[in-house]
Amino acid sequence: MEPLSWGAIAARILLQFLPVWIALAATFGLSWVYRAKLGLYGKLFDNRIGLIGLFLTLFWVYTALAAGLFDWIATHDPLTAVSGMKNKVPGTPLRGAEDGDFPYYLLGGDGLARDVFSRMVAGSWIVVQIAPLATLFAFMAGITLGLPAGYFGGRLDSVLTFAANLILAFPVILLFYLLVTPEIVASGLPAYLSAGLFLLPLVFLGLLINARARTNPRRRWMLLAVMLLPLGWAYLSLISAQGSALDLLPAALDLFDVPGGILVVFVSVIFVNAPTVFRLTRGLTLDLKTRDYVAAAQTRGEGPWYIMLWEILPNARGPLIVDFCLRIGYTTILLGTLGFFGLGLPPDSPDWGTTINAGRKLLSIFPHPAIAPAVALLSLVLGLNLLADGLREESLKD
Amino acid sequence: MTQEPILAIDSLSISFDTRRAEIPAVMDFSVSVQPGEAMGLVGESGCGKSTVALGIMRDLGRNGRIAGGTIRFKGRDMAEMSEAELRRIRGNEIAMIYQEPMASLNPAMKVGRQLMEVPMIHEGVTAEEARARALKMLDDVKLPDPARILDSYPHQLSGGQQQRIVIAMALMSKPALLILDEPTTALDVTVEAAIVELIRDLGRKYGTAMLFISHNLGLVLETCDRICVMYSGEAVETGTVAEVFDTMRHPYTQALFRAIPLPGADKTARPLQAIPGNFPLPHQRPPGCNFGPRCSYFEAGRCDAQAIPMQDVRPGHATRCLRAEEIDWTAEPEAEAETEARTPGKVVLSVEKLKKYYEAGANALFGGETQVVKANEALTFEARESETLAIVGESGCGKSTLAKMLMGLETATEGRILLDGREIQDLPVADRDGGLLGDLQMVFQNPFDTLNPSIPVGRQIIRALELFGYGASDAERRERMLTLLDLVKLPRDFAERMPRQLSGGQKQRVGIARAFAGGARIVVADEPVSALDVSVQAAVTDLLMEIQKREKTTLIFISHDLSLVRYLADRVLVMYLGHVVELGTVEEVFAPPYHPYTEALLSAVPIADTSVEKERIVLEGELPSATNPPPGCPFQTRCRWKAQVAGDRCATELPEMRRFGAHQIRCHLAPEVLTDMPPVLRHAAD
Ligand SMILES: Nc1ncnc2c1ncn2[C@@H]1O[C@H](COP(=O)(O)OP(=O)(O)O)[C@@H](O)[C@H]1O
Ligand code: SF4
Ligand code: SF4
Ligand SMILES: [Mg+2]
Repeated sequence: MEPLSWGAIAARILLQFLPVWIALAATFGLSWVYRAKLGLYGKLFDNRIGLIGLFLTLFWVYTALAAGLFDWIATHDPLTAVSGMKNKVPGTPLRGAEDGDFPYYLLGGDGLARDVFSRMVAGSWIVVQIAPLATLFAFMAGITLGLPAGYFGGRLDSVLTFAANLILAFPVILLFYLLVTPEIVASGLPAYLSAGLFLLPLVFLGLLINARARTNPRRRWMLLAVMLLPLGWAYLSLISAQGSALDLLPAALDLFDVPGGILVVFVSVIFVNAPTVFRLTRGLTLDLKTRDYVAAAQTRGEGPWYIMLWEILPNARGPLIVDFCLRIGYTTILLGTLGFFGLGLPPDSPDWGTTINAGRKLLSIFPHPAIAPAVALLSLVLGLNLLADGLREESLKD
Repeated sequence: MTQEPILAIDSLSISFDTRRAEIPAVMDFSVSVQPGEAMGLVGESGCGKSTVALGIMRDLGRNGRIAGGTIRFKGRDMAEMSEAELRRIRGNEIAMIYQEPMASLNPAMKVGRQLMEVPMIHEGVTAEEARARALKMLDDVKLPDPARILDSYPHQLSGGQQQRIVIAMALMSKPALLILDEPTTALDVTVEAAIVELIRDLGRKYGTAMLFISHNLGLVLETCDRICVMYSGEAVETGTVAEVFDTMRHPYTQALFRAIPLPGADKTARPLQAIPGNFPLPHQRPPGCNFGPRCSYFEAGRCDAQAIPMQDVRPGHATRCLRAEEIDWTAEPEAEAETEARTPGKVVLSVEKLKKYYEAGANALFGGETQVVKANEALTFEARESETLAIVGESGCGKSTLAKMLMGLETATEGRILLDGREIQDLPVADRDGGLLGDLQMVFQNPFDTLNPSIPVGRQIIRALELFGYGASDAERRERMLTLLDLVKLPRDFAERMPRQLSGGQKQRVGIARAFAGGARIVVADEPVSALDVSVQAAVTDLLMEIQKREKTTLIFISHDLSLVRYLADRVLVMYLGHVVELGTVEEVFAPPYHPYTEALLSAVPIADTSVEKERIVLEGELPSATNPPPGCPFQTRCRWKAQVAGDRCATELPEMRRFGAHQIRCHLAPEVLTDMPPVLRHAAD
């Protein structure tokens, strides 16, 4: 068989993404129809920049879902090598293709003869799973500390701000290396650190419910039990692992183990992002706590956590959402950086950072294995940035 | 007046293009300003006053455009001028002063440089010459110690001083026309009075024509020669100030005057009359007369048949009303059913020698020099059931601190607060039980801030009920919330709305409903209507008084608007620098004997009544800082009566309360001197 021409490659790739196009068309169509009722999201449809951002972001989200949940889009298995396909250029026909096999490596083969296109698609699933979640944890940590710092002020504020600045001043790369150094892992420090950091979201949720349902003790305990028991169990499963420093749960009760690499990724992301989120939240709190509705809440006897979580936080959501979008982008890049240093995810993981790193060695001779994930990363981060810009612009309008 | 006008606007229309629709903000607007004349432009917020000003400056932003009509400046059509020419005129011949002084000042540049730049750029004079002119101009705007001020940055000056600098800067280029857009709205009354006096004097001295934009009729009376009343994008009445004030010929103008408290207004005999309905949004204007749906003289088939043109009533006095000739303008408003006066009951709240000092300036982590802010000094007063006690004074005098201590948001440094005999001064709000919380509630000033923008209106009231321990079930609380909405005259389906879907007045009503949710005994209202438009103010004020009467609540009404205080309060407490300087019934406080500060306050209030003559007392100097109050009498740095006290007692000794029955005045002046003070306000007829 002849190798495909560039035009044919493009056409086949577009066709391969068919489920994504359909999903995008449906989303945009429905959102357009109901845009008047959709608040800030609906207003994005008046904003070209934001719309482009939304398109790029959703493109990768749908790609990830289609690839991760339904095994669509990818043409080959991202981890299997096919002999004779090593470093082949885009559009090369598959050697020894059987019936039912996709007959081409659309974006060529990498240094280990795996399909670059499929790895890129599969990588999106990893990125979309980890980046928003890790960022969310970073936000919960930053918010749980930033609210009281801004609200109470005084010594608590000084100490927390000082600590945040200290972490920001610490060289990040050094931090990553420390986190995976065997001696330090053996001392259990990363495990304790993650135990602490992952506890913050639980604290956050507990405070949220408690503050709201304080006036009705029965409902309070019920809600707290319903929310916190399963989450507590999940939390314990998350942090305890057989044979590690934190072996808390008997194996029978331990629901799942998270690979150490992923834990490192989470801890790193939280460490890098939480101080900045902390500062943003603190600043917003300082401003919002002077509002009359906060004084009104105080005069009707609300506790400090109710005021922080129900009176201040919802009204700080605009800037926080915008920052969240931007930060998912940073996290995606950070995943790449971590992978680039051989930290975090396993070496054959198809995530974009690791793939770019692997393709780097032969970059001058065979650029395509690195370019595909790089373009993917670029377009997702660009999309998130544009989306954030659009949201910011629209949220300022009223 | 055959002179050529400085500014002639003829059938001006201005539109803003938005994504949804085109908004006609100003329609068929005509006005002219003669040399040396001050023209007042009044109307409620959103009626298009600022848009007219920006249209004159040709500064309508990207989406605004002049859709029709002409603006002639010194006889020349501004539409035909080149960009360069417009730029020259804008900086040089037309100057504009905004509400916020900091909008016109560069925070990073010394005041002197900013002033000197004006003649240096526009006239190319030397630096020395420019500095000399700047010094002279600062003297003209009556700033003390001009040399020091030239060397300061804007943030080192008070709001009043900043606004004086802005005026000086505007006058440096010797403009032919000065546009002032609500120049004193952000300032205290006494500062406002001084600035207004300054503007009027400078106008006379330099012969500058002025376009004075304001929502305050009293201010326009004090500053302007002619007036133009705007409603919903149109001029509805123009004429000389005297003519429009005394023989108005448009129902909207009449309604405006009936909605504001005038010195003679009595809450029982002549209640304020709110204008019914709401201001129409620019794209929802009714057919025919814009004021039609709210006009009590509306005649179907005529008023809504066609657009109403402006017609002359007399030369120089025009109105946009078809029925101007038919209406009986002398008829008194139908007096509502005589509301009987309240009789104050037993003492509910008593405050004894209450004192609050704040410590400020220390760094929490590393310590450092602490400064003491003396916010309240030995306040003593009582409030009775169903009584309205007004607390007046300039910003920074300690009114809000007092409110915070009552609410438990701050605890007292010394002294006692007794609620029904129970001491609560050391009980922070966190330790108060539901009953006490519900008993003492507050209505806040800023309608845009008083409700949490993220929570539906009904939910916010229900939350308050939950905390006050009201009702046994959610259903019961919901029912109570709906009756509260009835109480403040809002439709029940507002419960599901978000605050941004409500107008300012409606939000303030929700705030009132929330305050009365737990059957409050005492409600502290901190400037509850000052941020609302006049026509809405009347309705909210009346609502507050009505609920108070029904619930026998004690209302503590904090305000700087003395006209309003006179209208609704039973007793008045005047504060200055944390001290009570005068306390008495409304009749006592508003007539001699006065405390010298009260006298100045009364004189500062602009009054929209041509038959009232005012003694002009302008307070010199600045309000001293609460960290470093003057020794002796707090008011001694600005008091004009000080010389009448023998010796140096004003500067050394804090005066005791002088008693005239229940009326108390904190002043060293001899009782005869106090009683012989001339009244500040006189009716011309007397
Ligand atoms: N840039 C703009 N875009 C759209 N509408 C505007 C803009 N500026 C003002 N408007 C509308 O024009 C009307 C008049 O506003 P304005 O001149 O500011 O009134 P005022 O100064 O009397 O308070 C209002 O309805 C306002 O919403
Ligand atoms: S024209 Fe008719 S509706 Fe309009 S102000 Fe005159 S009487 Fe009222
Ligand atoms: S005590 Fe002296 S300074 Fe104070 S108000 Fe009376 S006269 Fe003025
Ligand atoms: Mg305005």
